[in-house]
Amino acid sequence: MSLIAEDIRVFYGKRAALRGVSLTALPGEVTAIVGPNGSGKSTLLGAITASLPYQGAVSLNGQDVSAMKPWQLAAQRAVLPQASHLAFPFKVIEVVRLGLQSGTAGDRPEVPVQALARVGLAHYADRTFQELSGGEAQRVMLARVLAQVWAPVENGQPRWLLLDEPVSSLDIAHQLQVMDIARGFARAGGGVIAVMHDLNLTALYADRVALLATGKRMAFGRPHEVLTDEILSDAYGCALRVSAPPPAGIPFVLPHAASA
Amino acid sequence: MTVVSDIAVAPRDRLNPARSLHWVLAVALGLACLVNLQVGATDATLSSVLAKLAQGETLSQIERVVLFDIRLPRLVMGVLVGAALAVSGAAMQGLFRNPLADPGIVGVGAGAGLGAILAIVLGALLPVWMIDRAGNHLVPFAAFLGGWGSTILLYRVSTRQGRTSVATMLLAGIALGALAGALSGILVYIADDRQLRDLTFWGLGSLAGASWAKGMSAAPLILLSLGTAMVLGRGLNGLALGEATAAHIGINVQRMKSTAILAVAGATGAAVAVSGGIGFIGIVVPHLLRLASGPDHRTLLLNSALLGATLLILADVIARVVIAPAELPIGIVTAVLGAPVFLWILLRRRGMVEL
Repeated sequence: MSLIAEDIRVFYGKRAALRGVSLTALPGEVTAIVGPNGSGKSTLLGAITASLPYQGAVSLNGQDVSAMKPWQLAAQRAVLPQASHLAFPFKVIEVVRLGLQSGTAGDRPEVPVQALARVGLAHYADRTFQELSGGEAQRVMLARVLAQVWAPVENGQPRWLLLDEPVSSLDIAHQLQVMDIARGFARAGGGVIAVMHDLNLTALYADRVALLATGKRMAFGRPHEVLTDEILSDAYGCALRVSAPPPAGIPFVLPHAASA
Repeated sequence: MTVVSDIAVAPRDRLNPARSLHWVLAVALGLACLVNLQVGATDATLSSVLAKLAQGETLSQIERVVLFDIRLPRLVMGVLVGAALAVSGAAMQGLFRNPLADPGIVGVGAGAGLGAILAIVLGALLPVWMIDRAGNHLVPFAAFLGGWGSTILLYRVSTRQGRTSVATMLLAGIALGALAGALSGILVYIADDRQLRDLTFWGLGSLAGASWAKGMSAAPLILLSLGTAMVLGRGLNGLALGEATAAHIGINVQRMKSTAILAVAGATGAAVAVSGGIGFIGIVVPHLLRLASGPDHRTLLLNSALLGATLLILADVIARVVIAPAELPIGIVTAVLGAPVFLWILLRRRGMVEL
């Protein structure tokens, strides 16, 4: 019962964007994918979600993804894209209901309202999606994704949240809110894979970290194993120093040290 | 932390009002049908005929011909064509995720037009037995073939590895439209005076010349296409989120798109075949409905069929009365009413049209 990507290779024309990357994500954990720009983070998530052609194998809860129908996949995992455009003036609640249509909570009309409340936007239900700010739109899309896999565990099987830079356009309070939601989903038995830019949020919330650079996996493990001076400086190509505040021992990356 | 006063108010629902609109529009369509049968260049009106029948009198030859052989088939054709144009517009806009998309834009209309012009100008070159057999079906049939062929070509050009790129399809549609227009232009040079007049009238779109035979030749294709389009609602809703997200919420995107293209080509081809280029119904009707009851395609498609049929047969009434006893091509009426609406949509969206 896990999400396993094996030896994933992706080519954009002749250029290799991913050169044989493997990843195992476990339910109950937040697995973060980090790395510099162009390292293949979003490409890896794109392969895992079958959004782009890839070589290699992906299995979800023991089933080969390539053999599953779109609606079977939709019942087991929801995907939050990096940017969302909406073509027509749907209302916020209607957007969230689109997630409900495909999930297995279709007969529970209260779920979209609860999902909006979860991201703190219940009072926005009747607004038109296009009126929202970038950050609000991103949270509405998160609510849609949550409504799709509302129960983190169903029929004894974990369900999955696959998030592509879920906090990219959010202020710090909402970054924490969204990461709390992701961690809560994992603690309730679901699985979360998130592409992350912010190393400190990663250190704070991830249970496991995959670090990519130039289309290869440089490191994979617990945050304190991956987020080290040596590994990060090598991957990002600049001097980075990782520190830890005394009480919790959670590592943090101090960019101020880069010029030192 | 701020206290979140996020007590959920039950959100206003637009789906059920949109479903009630089905009935309102059906009644409106019924009334429009009565008006359409009542109004015309002769004294034979629906009410006078009904009054006669009620008194047990027999109808005169003229009354019978006017109502049952001229106005009724024209009404049926107007209903079918109006529904076909509006639904193919709504489906194509959903497919292209753009409220300004229309079958005319992706070259289906232009391809059908080229087919019709070919038949008008060069039809006389066909063997006599063929012309005899085809009769006045020649132009509609050629128009249908043209629309069908351009849809297939368009699909070949813009689909790679089983995936259709909407941008490529739009651009290919522009190229196809330009090519069909150029070929049509060459044909217009060859045409003689009588053919030129045919071309003008056909190009403006008209329901004149409607007959039971003509209506019946288009009806099966239009009804089949409309029925197919009605199952697209959920898929087109998902597609509004983008192709990737539509797939992620469980929609078989490739199959849904192919179905939509087939429905649009069938409805547009058959409509253009019997009535020429009647514009703007496909843009105006879905837009008005989105304003009235929201963009949910599960109700939008059926509502479009009803409102499209209603508006087209009312436009037909206007076309028949403004310069009676002569009549305007209905395409002029829909353009005069529809083009300003189109420009208004464009004006409101100027800042946010994405292509």
